[in-house]
Amino acid sequence: MSKLGKIARRTFLFGSVAIAGGVAFGVYKYKAPVKNPLLNDLADGEAGLTPYVKIDANGITLITPRADSGQGAYHVQAAIIAEELDVELDQVRIDPGMPDKAYYNTALGGDGAPFAPTDDSFGANSTRVVMDALMKFLGMQVTGGSTTVPDGYDKLRIAGAVARETLKAAASQKSGVPVADLKTANGAVQLPDGTAIVYTELAAIAATLDPVKDVTLRDPSQWRLMGKPTQRVDIVAKSTGTLPYGIDFTMDNMVHASVRTNPRRGGEMLSYDASGAEGMRGVQQVLPITGGVAVIADNTWRAIQAVNAIDVEWGAAPYPAEMDGHWQTLSDSFNDDQLDSRQKDEGDVVAALDSGEVIEAEYRAPYLAHAPLEPITAVVHVQDDRVDVWTGTQIPRFLQTNVSDITGMDYDKVFIHVLMMGGSFGHRLEARVVKEAAEIAMAVKGTPVKLTYSREEDMTHNDTRQIAMARGRGTVKNGQVEAYDLGIAMPSVIASQMGRQGLSVPGPDTQIVAGAWEQPLSIPNYRVTGYRAPELGPISSWRSVGASTNGFFHDVFLDELIVAAGADPMEERMRLCWHDPSRKTLETVAEMSNWGSELGPNKGRGVSFCMSFGVAVAEVIEVTNTDAGIRIDNVWVAAEVGKVVDPVNFENMVQGGVIWALGHAMNSEITYSDGMVEQSNYHAFEGMRMYQAPNIMVAGLENGEHIRGMGEPMVPPAAAALSNAIFAATGQRIREMPMNKFIDFV
Amino acid sequence: MKTRFFIAAAVAGFTGTLAWAASDEITILPPAEGSVSVEQGLVAWGRIYEVASHPRCSNCHVGDSNRPMWSGPSYGKARPHGMNINAGESRIGAEHIPCATCHVTNKTGGNSGAHMAPQVAAEWQLPPVEFEWNGKSSIEVCNQLRDPERNGDRTCMDIAGHLDHDVILHWAWAPGGGREPAPYSLQEHVNDVLAWGVSGMPCAND
Amino acid sequence: MKLTVNGTAHEVDVEDDMPLLWVLRDELGITGPKYGCGIAQCGACTVHMDGGAVRSCQVAAADIEGEIITIEGLGTPDALHAVQEAWIEHQVAQCGYCQSGQIMAAASFLETNSEPNDADIDTAMSANLCRCGTYPRIRAAVKTAAQKLNGA
Repeated sequence: MSKLGKIARRTFLFGSVAIAGGVAFGVYKYKAPVKNPLLNDLADGEAGLTPYVKIDANGITLITPRADSGQGAYHVQAAIIAEELDVELDQVRIDPGMPDKAYYNTALGGDGAPFAPTDDSFGANSTRVVMDALMKFLGMQVTGGSTTVPDGYDKLRIAGAVARETLKAAASQKSGVPVADLKTANGAVQLPDGTAIVYTELAAIAATLDPVKDVTLRDPSQWRLMGKPTQRVDIVAKSTGTLPYGIDFTMDNMVHASVRTNPRRGGEMLSYDASGAEGMRGVQQVLPITGGVAVIADNTWRAIQAVNAIDVEWGAAPYPAEMDGHWQTLSDSFNDDQLDSRQKDEGDVVAALDSGEVIEAEYRAPYLAHAPLEPITAVVHVQDDRVDVWTGTQIPRFLQTNVSDITGMDYDKVFIHVLMMGGSFGHRLEARVVKEAAEIAMAVKGTPVKLTYSREEDMTHNDTRQIAMARGRGTVKNGQVEAYDLGIAMPSVIASQMGRQGLSVPGPDTQIVAGAWEQPLSIPNYRVTGYRAPELGPISSWRSVGASTNGFFHDVFLDELIVAAGADPMEERMRLCWHDPSRKTLETVAEMSNWGSELGPNKGRGVSFCMSFGVAVAEVIEVTNTDAGIRIDNVWVAAEVGKVVDPVNFENMVQGGVIWALGHAMNSEITYSDGMVEQSNYHAFEGMRMYQAPNIMVAGLENGEHIRGMGEPMVPPAAAALSNAIFAATGQRIREMPMNKFIDFV
Repeated sequence: MKTRFFIAAAVAGFTGTLAWAASDEITILPPAEGSVSVEQGLVAWGRIYEVASHPRCSNCHVGDSNRPMWSGPSYGKARPHGMNINAGESRIGAEHIPCATCHVTNKTGGNSGAHMAPQVAAEWQLPPVEFEWNGKSSIEVCNQLRDPERNGDRTCMDIAGHLDHDVILHWAWAPGGGREPAPYSLQEHVNDVLAWGVSGMPCAND
Repeated sequence: MKLTVNGTAHEVDVEDDMPLLWVLRDELGITGPKYGCGIAQCGACTVHMDGGAVRSCQVAAADIEGEIITIEGLGTPDALHAVQEAWIEHQVAQCGYCQSGQIMAAASFLETNSEPNDADIDTAMSANLCRCGTYPRIRAAVKTAAQKLNGA
């Protein structure tokens, strides 16, 4: 048996995927190319050229299957297709399409395999290929892991080019002009005599042709849209209040529901008394659902008012009631029995630690909520022969299964309509709101039900970012870092998240060490160990997942060692970094920030580096220690992404991601007391507001071979750079988030 | 002297349903001149200071920072009002974001949901800057309150009348939303102000 | 009860304490104002009432006074308000969910301060939460909008 075959059969060795939404490993064989889903229900005269382009007499539709939660996914996917298709973005409709296996996410599989992104060896790349096949088989249409651009970069361009060349063939047949003499622009084939035949007129002919598969992709120097500032397709609608989000979706005869489930997550509902709610205006029905109770009413506000008027007796939580118990569980997890992975183990750490003065430190990172501004919603309409779901989601195909299970409807009679999301940050990788809406809809078959969470229900029932703890031990010698030993303990995000989908993922969870183990540093004695804590509160993928905590742990401890060695934080990181494109991010950010120049009094600079999702990111933060507390003045970011496809959006995303990371690191945590989340709304969990937002300067570098996504990798280094900067300005080392427990911010 | 007004007693909490208590009658009846000793006046002042320094009152009695505070049992560490709020020299937020953007004038006088913006049947605002009490000691506030230059040229009768008429002050004893009310009752507070006045407005540093 | 929204008179039969936000969204189908928190913490529901910005989630139906203007009434894709033009030029939005409220807050603020500096903007706009972190672009867009409104 070939090496690849063996690996495919022993896939459990790969552990978990890079993000949740994740993957399940199977033993099936991947046989045939997936069927084009658009061919299933095309009317006569339509040409389904590829799964990403649809053309009919009414126009051109680009199918953008990666969901848009604000990261500009629809725009960037459309721009990539349009680049090769030779259409302008104002000539097309954009449709996320129905979920289908053909939209599998290959980039996600690639990052799930346990190879560092810097590892381009044959073994690493060939394993990525196997993961790709598995992803294709399992039909994961998942948005996450910063994969939209890497996944679509080739696929969508090829789709556009295949469509274009097939339309040219159709035009040739219609006009008699050889294909070689045809050009394309503005959604039309241009004949040598100046005549233009619009694509929509060619759809019927193109439908009769075999697609032209032998296409050559354009050189980046010829690009019209990619790499250039373009106006996002949704920007006018989003600036005029005219873009409908999931929460805005409505239907005739629709009723409104709201729910309350046990705030001690996973606990039972022991009893409830709805007498206070039943007589309230507009209330139509009160019904128990899994783990809680729902109200159906005639508008959203009445449903929320009524469900909150129900007296409920809740059972106990399956995890410690107070935070002390959570931290103790992590603290107790640093032992050999719970050792989950040790993929970085270079030199002889034990001997090095025995021979030098050991520097030790412990770090903590709290639970955090996703809390996108749009509360979660879903509309479910159960009919005799089909079920339709309208919701903002990153996991449409999982939802198809979930709804099929709840309603008893055949899987292929469940239709998931993906709507625009008012933010996600990983929140919409969960199925809860759709499952509950489906349960409620079964009670009023034939009537569409819209379930809207109150903000309080949403925030107190968030599957949070993982809680995590790390312990570092290290030595320095001759002004350099000599030994670095980091242990990280957290529960498995993948196990918690996949568990809610009824899937178990054997093998180590690489997210426990993501953002730490794969750093391209050559420390003589270097070890990173993951310890798997037992399940605690429910956790899920929070923007950058494991790296959101580990980027902080890994780099702050490195900074402590560099300071102990008496080295310059920037120069020592550059010296340690063996990976040229990564080192270039440090060099760039040093230049941007004028690293080493004199700072005024009470000021400090910190640098950090983290590679996550294959993207090397270096950040420098400059702070001032004022009388009223720390003020963040400036942030500089340099990120290696291979190719910046949409520069405006790139800058916006990086700035926003830095604000996201810093705001939570400074100000926010989710805590449990009596088994219940204590933070019920934004007054207690606000992230960052404008007055704390620093200037953020961004550079996207294009030195690497691989194109990478930038939805998440700016997050992991930010908190570390802040901690390092605060140390530089004040001498106070902050090892725990949120940092406002230890220092005031302006 | 008798006046009558309504106190909005917000009771339903999270559901936002409002209920209204029966009208409370406040009597402004000062003790007879000479009937309250300085010692008794100081005891009354002690209770007045408990009210004045309570978060329901002191959060808004801030100085020329013009920044109301968030403090008290439901907030943890005292901090300036979130959202970078600054009521400006206007003390009503006119320069940037009016207080009334969230603290909407509410005819029926309530907004009782947990953590909602408190509302009354008047324009929400900070007291004048001379009434800065936040963070000040009992002696400091006492001297302030008896100084006509810094108390709006009010006698203790005037102060009691002010307590009677200003519905924002009434709110302090019926803040709703799970907030802790100011101590004692409005009537007891008025009685203490009157007793303190009749005793000659003593302060502990006299 | 009666109310006028974006120049159109409506009559609705609702409870006195139903927030204006839900009157707009569920009774009148005007969905530009968004539900984010329900307690005046996020500002996504901001509309103008009687000429000033208010959090529509905090205005009880019984307290509605004067005309209501929502983002839909401020300007349209074919006839943009200067603040909306600036928001488009700077491509402020990511998810965009808060931006209706941000734009309504900025439009109201610029009526009282026509030449705001960064500190003014940070004071006026920090009561509107953006979870995507578009603040640097909002700052820039508010300044551009001010210039547009000043006829620059």
